[in-house]
Amino acid sequence: MRLWTRLRAWLSATFRRSHLERDMDAELRFHIDTYAAELVQRGVPNSEALRRARIEFGGIDSAKEECREARGVTFLETLLQDLRFGARTLRKSPGFAVTAILTLALGIGSTAAVFSVVNAVLLKPLPYPRPDRIVMPWWAWPVTDLGDDFPWGQRDFVAFQRQVVGFQSVGAFKPDSFNLTGFGDPIRLDGIKASAGFFPALGVAPLIGRTFRAQEEEPGHELEVVLSHSLWLERFGGDPGAIGRSINLNGLSYTVIGVMPPGFVFPRGEEMPIVLGFPRQAQLWIPNPTPLNPAGPQDLAVVGRLKDGVTFEQAFAELQVFGKDREREYPQAAGYFTPRLATLGHQVVGDSRRPLLLLLGAVAVVLLIACSNVANLLLARSLLRGKEFTLRSALGAGRGRLLRQLLVENLLLAITGGFFGTLVAWGGVYFARMFGPSNLPRLHEVTLDLRVFAFALGVACLTGIIFGLPPAFAATREGLVESLKERGPAASASSVRLRSTLVVSQVALALVLVVAAGLLVRTFYSLLRSDAGFNPSRVFTFQLTLPAGKYPDVDAMARVYHAVLQRLQSTPGVQQVGFSSAVPLGGAPDNTGIRIPDRPRTNTKETNPTANYLFATPGYFAAVGTPLLRGRDFTESDIQDSQHVAIITVTMAQKYWPGKDPLGKQVGVGLTRFPLRTIVGIVADTKHTSLSEKSIPEMYVPYTQNEIKVWPNMQTMQVALRTPQDPASMTGDVRRALNAVDPDLPLAKPATLAALVDDSVVQPRFSMLLLASFGGIALLLASIGMYGVISYSVACRTREIGIRMALGAAPRQVFRMVLGQGAHLVAVGIAIGLVASFAVARLMSSFLFGVRPTDPYTYAAVCLLLTLVVLLACYLPARRATRVDPTVALREE
Amino acid sequence: MDKQLALLQGTLDLLILKAVSLGPLHGYGVLLRIQQISKDSLEIQQGSLYPALYRLEHQGWIVSEWGESENKRKAKYYRLTAAGKRRLLAETKKWNRMSDVIAAILGAAPEEV
Repeated sequence: MRLWTRLRAWLSATFRRSHLERDMDAELRFHIDTYAAELVQRGVPNSEALRRARIEFGGIDSAKEECREARGVTFLETLLQDLRFGARTLRKSPGFAVTAILTLALGIGSTAAVFSVVNAVLLKPLPYPRPDRIVMPWWAWPVTDLGDDFPWGQRDFVAFQRQVVGFQSVGAFKPDSFNLTGFGDPIRLDGIKASAGFFPALGVAPLIGRTFRAQEEEPGHELEVVLSHSLWLERFGGDPGAIGRSINLNGLSYTVIGVMPPGFVFPRGEEMPIVLGFPRQAQLWIPNPTPLNPAGPQDLAVVGRLKDGVTFEQAFAELQVFGKDREREYPQAAGYFTPRLATLGHQVVGDSRRPLLLLLGAVAVVLLIACSNVANLLLARSLLRGKEFTLRSALGAGRGRLLRQLLVENLLLAITGGFFGTLVAWGGVYFARMFGPSNLPRLHEVTLDLRVFAFALGVACLTGIIFGLPPAFAATREGLVESLKERGPAASASSVRLRSTLVVSQVALALVLVVAAGLLVRTFYSLLRSDAGFNPSRVFTFQLTLPAGKYPDVDAMARVYHAVLQRLQSTPGVQQVGFSSAVPLGGAPDNTGIRIPDRPRTNTKETNPTANYLFATPGYFAAVGTPLLRGRDFTESDIQDSQHVAIITVTMAQKYWPGKDPLGKQVGVGLTRFPLRTIVGIVADTKHTSLSEKSIPEMYVPYTQNEIKVWPNMQTMQVALRTPQDPASMTGDVRRALNAVDPDLPLAKPATLAALVDDSVVQPRFSMLLLASFGGIALLLASIGMYGVISYSVACRTREIGIRMALGAAPRQVFRMVLGQGAHLVAVGIAIGLVASFAVARLMSSFLFGVRPTDPYTYAAVCLLLTLVVLLACYLPARRATRVDPTVALREE
Repeated sequence: MDKQLALLQGTLDLLILKAVSLGPLHGYGVLLRIQQISKDSLEIQQGSLYPALYRLEHQGWIVSEWGESENKRKAKYYRLTAAGKRRLLAETKKWNRMSDVIAAILGAAPEEV
């Protein structure tokens, strides 16, 4: 009640001020009139009564003033007064105001933009109910350089499902791709095979229809499909009658049983370990039937929801017990059952946490520089306004009032800066969404939300208070008499020192940022220049997935691939063509344990040798431009009945046959029932997932010599063709060639090899561009700061310079003196900045590729650049100093 | 009639609260009622009445409302709020204690000390 009354009085006092004034007048007039009427009754003459009444009432105006004060609105009124006055003063010095507001806008805006991205990617909860209860168990890779998460096998999952108690539901899932036919041109859809526990574990219900039931895990019930919202809109126009209809996937008829709500596309490829090859977004889900004999490859991701009351630690303990059990059951696979458990949040964000934190750190530095710059500007200004303040306090303004006035002015600046900063942030977020790396998880969710706005405004106000107050104190500290006696602007030694410190720290911070940016630029260029083991120019690639029902066995597959190859070879404009399981940067290939008969195991602790295992055709290496270093390429005569051969990579040769010639040696997959192959060639290593990946052993086998039959999957091949034309123009010809072989063959993921390379460097390029622009802003701000300090010091030293020149100093000497002052500050700043840079660069080393954190060229170039830019900022004031006319300067005093 | 007493510091608020507690009053009425009850023995600066009224209203102890006066004019009437009632009670108690204490001190004989 009290608060409400107070608030109401306050509000109405603010917004209905004139109304209240009228009320007050009426009330007082009533009093006086009534009193006068009473006086008349007591016999005072009419003409005299009103005068008497007024006199006895006392000072009406002072009473009114007291009433206004009692109403408790004076604070706000003076605040408004301060605001109006502040706005007027700022308008009077537009140069200062614009510089300060721009500086703040850049600082606050970039902070808010980066914070928006961080907020969306790292802080916002995932769009599943109680996401903190969702976890993903993995095994740990026995070989550490392959990444962290090793997928599960079907056997593991079946046992896990039976055994564990701490989970409410668990689901296994793996990627699959489908040719959708019967809807015009065959198209390829990315889908997920998921067990019945998949949807309950995520806690998402379908928009219409249902998801899988447990019996659909049994073989024979798997011909059902759940559609994503977008696929439903696209193919069925959002018709609820789609439920129960059939669609043709991979030559089989599937019944649509449900449609997921919009936005549900779990899992996104960028959120899952790269080795599993998940698509960017899932478009449909089909049941993953449990085979009767659940052996098979390790290709499953698992997601589970913890039971209420079960902690993450308890679940992990249970998982460890489970791992031990698996190891007892399969001692031959010991070492493969070290469990890992990640919350979904960690899984989704994964490796993107660190680049984002780097950017957040960088942008914090920008904000720091911006704020110190504003502080510098404010300090200079309040010194110049020393006289004004002295005069005002001489006229009776209290210290509190002066401080408040300054504070209001600064807040005004900060809030205006914050407003423009929000515009900058909005632009930044737009930029990030348009040009940000598409593999940054949840980037599509980035918006400038209210929290971010509050953050920006908070930073702006805090800036105003923190940096507004010290200059305000400085301005009101000085004794009245002293300041009034002083002539010219007060150049107290302490304020010069403070401003120099600010500039030095700006230079140091800018150096750190520019060094970081420089290292990233070098990283980016060494990525581009790195030997990726192929030649991306003028190569067209696409993915070919055979319709499942049509080509039942590997021989039929090999035949159709052969037909495609021949057809493409005769297509005009094709120089060379070939395909393999994975073209460079086309995704991670399958990895398997291998055996090498002539390589005795020297020590039992050593894990079994492994290698990536890929199919390739004759001419594939020539098509992608991978150099064949020794031996021969595959030929048409490498067939099932001839000698089984393999081509290995340099890394494989060096790792398993160090110092020896591997040509003619034997190698085979881990299982002894498959025959060994003879190594006939050695090729360069190629990169599969990123240009910065570390090469691991790799072996290629002819697609015509697939004796294992069931593995690796031959359903999908990646085709590469080299052409003298623009490779992007090949799509039509290639589609016609495919149609001629089989009209059901889809052409998926058409791209140029150069585009694949480009895609793989989007993330480092994004980081580099952002950091480079932050570095640019920092440079600009630091030079503005330096300009301010030097020109201020020149202004203060006009008299000194005049005397020097009168005593015979040449303009060149004066010029050198001023520049020397700047150079001194730069030198100190650079010295401090270098120390900080070394520390920061060490922290950054995991972002670097092909450049050491202590790269001397980067440091030297950055120091030189910084010195030049900052000295350029000193140039103008130094020139001004040389034009000082001694007679004028001396007379001025 | 004796010479009027000057008001003790801070007591005007209490007197206004008391006056208003007897029924809604406009500003002039507050003045009249205090003078009437005190039989004109208190001197109240008319001009100081209104800041006090505004202060009390701002503190939420009284509320005002426009109404019609005895002489058919528009006048602003003040009445006590619930919080004002509590305040009046508390202030009255405090005042009584204070005046007892002061009286005791002033009435103390030398032998009692």
